[in-house]
Amino acid sequence: MSTEPEKLAVDMHGITKAWPGVVANDHVDFSVRAGEIHALVGENGAGKSTLMNILYGLVKSDSGEIIVNGKPARINGPRDAIALGIGMVHQHFMLIPVFTVGENIMLGREPVAGPGFYDYTRARKDIDELTKKYGLRLDPDARTGDLPVGLQQRAEIVKVLYRGANLLVLDEPTGVLTPQETVELFGILRDLLKAGKTIIFISHKLKEVLEISDRITVMRRGKVVGHLTTKETNEQEIATMMVGRAVLLRVDKKPAKPGAVAFRVENLTANSDRSVQALRGISFELRQGEILGIAGVEGNGQSELVEVLAGTRRATGGHVLLGDRDVTAANAREERDAGVGHIPEDRRGVGLVLNYSIADNLILGRERASAFSWHGLLLRLDAIRNWAKRLVKEFDIRTPSIETPARALSGGNQQKIIVAREMGTRPRVLLAAQPTRGVDIGAIEFIHRRLVAERDEGTAVLLVSAELDEIRSLSDRIAVMYEGRIVSVEPADTDEARLGLLMTGGGTGAKTGAA
Amino acid sequence: MTFLGDIAHVLATADLWRLTLEAAALLLLPALGGVISERSGVVNIAMEGMMLTGAFFSVVADLAWHNPWAAALVGIVAGGLMALIHAVVSIRFRADQIVSGIAINIFAAGLTVFLVNRLYGLADVGHVGQANLLPYINIPLLDQIPFLGRVLFQQNVVVYAALILLVIVHLVLFRTRLGLRIRAVGEHPQAADTAGINVYVIRYGAVITSGLLSGLAGAFLAIGISNTFVPNMTDGRGYIALAAVIFGKWTPFGAFVACLIFGLGQAIYDNNSIIHVSQYLLSMLPYVLTLVVLAGVVGRSIPPAADGIPYAPENE
Amino acid sequence: MGSRPGPRLPRALRRVAGGFAVPLGSVIFAFIVGALLVAVTGGDPFQAYSGLLCGGLGIACANGENSALQISTTIVYFTPLIMAGVAVALPFRAGLFNIGAEGQFLAGAVACTFIGVKFSNLPAPILLPLVLLGGILAGAIWAGIPGVLKATVGAHEVVTTIMLNYVAQWLIRYLIVGGPLQLPHGFSVSSPIGAGARLPSFLPNDNSLIIFGLPAGVYRVHTGLLIAIAALAVFAILLWRTSLGYEIRAVGQSQRAARYAGISVPRTIIVTMLISGAFAGLAGAIQIAGVDHNLTDKYFNDTTGFEAIAVALLGLGSAVGILLASILFGALHAGGAVMQQDAGISSSLVQVLQALILFSIAANFLRVLRFPAFGRRPSAPSPTAPAAALMTEAAKAPPEETQT
Repeated sequence: MSTEPEKLAVDMHGITKAWPGVVANDHVDFSVRAGEIHALVGENGAGKSTLMNILYGLVKSDSGEIIVNGKPARINGPRDAIALGIGMVHQHFMLIPVFTVGENIMLGREPVAGPGFYDYTRARKDIDELTKKYGLRLDPDARTGDLPVGLQQRAEIVKVLYRGANLLVLDEPTGVLTPQETVELFGILRDLLKAGKTIIFISHKLKEVLEISDRITVMRRGKVVGHLTTKETNEQEIATMMVGRAVLLRVDKKPAKPGAVAFRVENLTANSDRSVQALRGISFELRQGEILGIAGVEGNGQSELVEVLAGTRRATGGHVLLGDRDVTAANAREERDAGVGHIPEDRRGVGLVLNYSIADNLILGRERASAFSWHGLLLRLDAIRNWAKRLVKEFDIRTPSIETPARALSGGNQQKIIVAREMGTRPRVLLAAQPTRGVDIGAIEFIHRRLVAERDEGTAVLLVSAELDEIRSLSDRIAVMYEGRIVSVEPADTDEARLGLLMTGGGTGAKTGAA
Repeated sequence: MTFLGDIAHVLATADLWRLTLEAAALLLLPALGGVISERSGVVNIAMEGMMLTGAFFSVVADLAWHNPWAAALVGIVAGGLMALIHAVVSIRFRADQIVSGIAINIFAAGLTVFLVNRLYGLADVGHVGQANLLPYINIPLLDQIPFLGRVLFQQNVVVYAALILLVIVHLVLFRTRLGLRIRAVGEHPQAADTAGINVYVIRYGAVITSGLLSGLAGAFLAIGISNTFVPNMTDGRGYIALAAVIFGKWTPFGAFVACLIFGLGQAIYDNNSIIHVSQYLLSMLPYVLTLVVLAGVVGRSIPPAADGIPYAPENE
Repeated sequence: MGSRPGPRLPRALRRVAGGFAVPLGSVIFAFIVGALLVAVTGGDPFQAYSGLLCGGLGIACANGENSALQISTTIVYFTPLIMAGVAVALPFRAGLFNIGAEGQFLAGAVACTFIGVKFSNLPAPILLPLVLLGGILAGAIWAGIPGVLKATVGAHEVVTTIMLNYVAQWLIRYLIVGGPLQLPHGFSVSSPIGAGARLPSFLPNDNSLIIFGLPAGVYRVHTGLLIAIAALAVFAILLWRTSLGYEIRAVGQSQRAARYAGISVPRTIIVTMLISGAFAGLAGAIQIAGVDHNLTDKYFNDTTGFEAIAVALLGLGSAVGILLASILFGALHAGGAVMQQDAGISSSLVQVLQALILFSIAANFLRVLRFPAFGRRPSAPSPTAPAAALMTEAAKAPPEETQT
């Protein structure tokens, strides 16, 4: 597809791969020039990872051909890909936590001494040479599981280089990194480029793509929708290609009429799953009848905040008051019974029991409530059925029957089950985490309307979203989180530039800590 | 006080320790197999059945050919074939490895008795002559060392083999390329796969090896320690070996220590004429000790991360 | 599964048909391979299987066996299997693999014998409930230990229950071989339980009464059968009609979703194991109170609890399935003896068949899960789903609440 006669490192033609029910790659053409950083962008589920897994031999394509360095290649497994000089840094690291970094790096290409014994000393020497050459500081003797994510990623990169890769595929490499680690990563990538490597960079973060890449391929719903040269494009153009629509979402809403304080959070602290402090003293007030948006780059403590408020994560300090009741230590059931609804960010893993019917899912967490259970013992099947029928109608859940397992529905309808369940019980406070992630436009609009309606009826809504547009169009006030703190609370009409600055740690002046 | 005195007296006899080592070696072979299999990520609770099969076929072969070496080989292969079934069902078909293990144990118990009946009628299997048993070998000179000579150097040939295998398995697992790959496959098969390692080949090999070792143990039991086959003659030893694997935290030497402890119980049981503790209560010891270990009283015992999880690559 | 609400016939029918395909296929596979095995070793498979058929179901008896007696024997065999099957199937739903039904069964038998012997003079209205309750309690304790260990320190229940199986087995040997329960001057046998501890037979123990050509006393079908059926009903109701059942299934399907819902995963694990053990313990108690009336060396090699695993899997964890699978296994048991007598084929062929059924059911597991459409819509929930969760999240790590 390239117009210039430059040398192509990889040329993929007509790649098609269908999973049951979805075409992940539909006649995809994709080519990468030798010595460039090529970004592959698209929304979640656009088919980027599938395409790269085909290139690395992890997934077999139904049809299409792959040409590597000018020669047609048959890639039946990672071994073939490695032999062709292709290396992949997976989104979920392929590292063994109990092995040392050195063992992980040499795995599969261990130097041997004597009758099958591996020569760790030699491997270490080779690794040292590699890390020196590319300026990647790394201790080969450290236990991999003990390292921070950034260093684990570095180990993955060294592992790929150790196998002699000339083409590096990085799948969403910045998703798990802190801003500083991202800066370091980009430095490394530029060094690799200078050393003659070619890099494919998968991402959906446009700013990063614009910063690091030479050329861009955009995918949408399994198809390539655009080949761009980075210098000649801008964020708006890529975004439009990615989502295939003018992005702006307008929600009609009247000005909020905030009432009494529903939720008062004081100096809250909590740890992440990795036992690192994720909340460093959060304080805010949430009033009845308002939507408070939480903006922030993902991984700055938003998830942990919602989980603590919903009772599924323990606070390590501070207070949460619901009305005048202290619910800091309340568990998920107590929170729910006290009138806190929770739309969790992980719909399929947390918010639903996928094999349960829609009816069963609509009482999740309330299976002992008196409305659905006789003294917490026997289920009231009729009441559950009626409840399900009502909600399916009211929330427009498209399903053949209330007995259909949630697994069988589309993402949007699955999300509507959760929204129906959490709104249907008329909560005082609604925690909505990424409520429209990965759902179709129809469902997005529906959920947005319901959130506003909920607010108008007096519910206090806490909205966490990675989509700045969503935050700006729905919220009455916007709190910006950065590194476990609320760095500022802004009015709803704050412009995107200022929010972006705040989200990345700038723009606060003297304001830090509690807002 | 006489009770303690009796114990002290028994503990001072070389025969007790000789028997302890012998019983430990019998458990060590399947335990080593279990360590290898589970290190590769395949749960193996089928050592019992593999041992039993090995025991049966070694007796059949020995009665037919009057050659203990060929018979032991037959027992080893028979154990390996049982393991092959476990491997195919649990790796190829990704069946639940525990169900498959249980099925192997039931299968072995049923098949051996069924075949006894088909081959020998409803009568006894018959006894292997003394000359055709796996021999006890005294190591020249070393066996003359007081006490230690009796304990260490007047043992069955399989005991020596088990001790050598212990060292070999340890070296292979922790020093060789193959061992590194086995452990990688058991911890994180996707990572191993992306590093170009064939997960299936490693797992097949590991499971079959566990069968070969268990088969050897069966042969040792039937035509070494004993001289015939009786139904269910392994009597839970495969499960004790499993306990030893866990007790020993999935390491060869850890398992060996567990086998020695369990073997000492067995030896005291055999010496029970002096110590008046019910042999049956003593027999519970391995199981109770393992429960105590599992309860975390002596530190957590953590299995390989991917142990028991069938590997399915993305491309399915 | 028939107890679920919703639109009925066509879908229910399809679901039943789809549900039967895998187990039926497994049974057919086992019988074919079994026949090959018999033929290869020089036997006549038709003769062998007609022996099984006669012994198990009283059909086509060639050597003068009494059909009624054979059916009675089959019922006696499958009665405890039903309850033990439930003891395996219930934890499956919670994502737990209870291999310890055997140990729990034995614990129940021991408790029943102990109480029945020590208080042998009490009248039946007091003693009978007491021995059954003793069995229930003993089984619950025997299963509760693995439950607590799993919920608190994450010890894998498969391993702990295996260990407890053997502890129970050796405990019985200790008790009746020179131990406190041994019958004076007897060997490998306990004293009999008191008359008040015995479950009544359906037929009077009166040899002058002739039924189906044999004295009434030879039929051993006992009222434990009613208890077993009741246990099955309790199981179905518990699972599908109670809040606890809802929570048990939720934990088995997704521990993270359960935690989100406010369900305590450790508590649910422990409660599930306690209930499961109660079923198995009751089975053991009923076997003593209804059939054997004392512990004998037969219990050294008992396999009820292991067969229960096959029953639960073959029955796909549903009440109806467990009943059908129990009948099949009870019939195989009763048939094995006749086959050995009439066809000269060792009854251990039955064990081989059981193992083959297990292999093929196990190997089918994932296929059922992955392609849930056996003529059904892909949306229909797979009946074996909980057993798959077993190998993924539930079995892998200790519950999160207890970590770090």
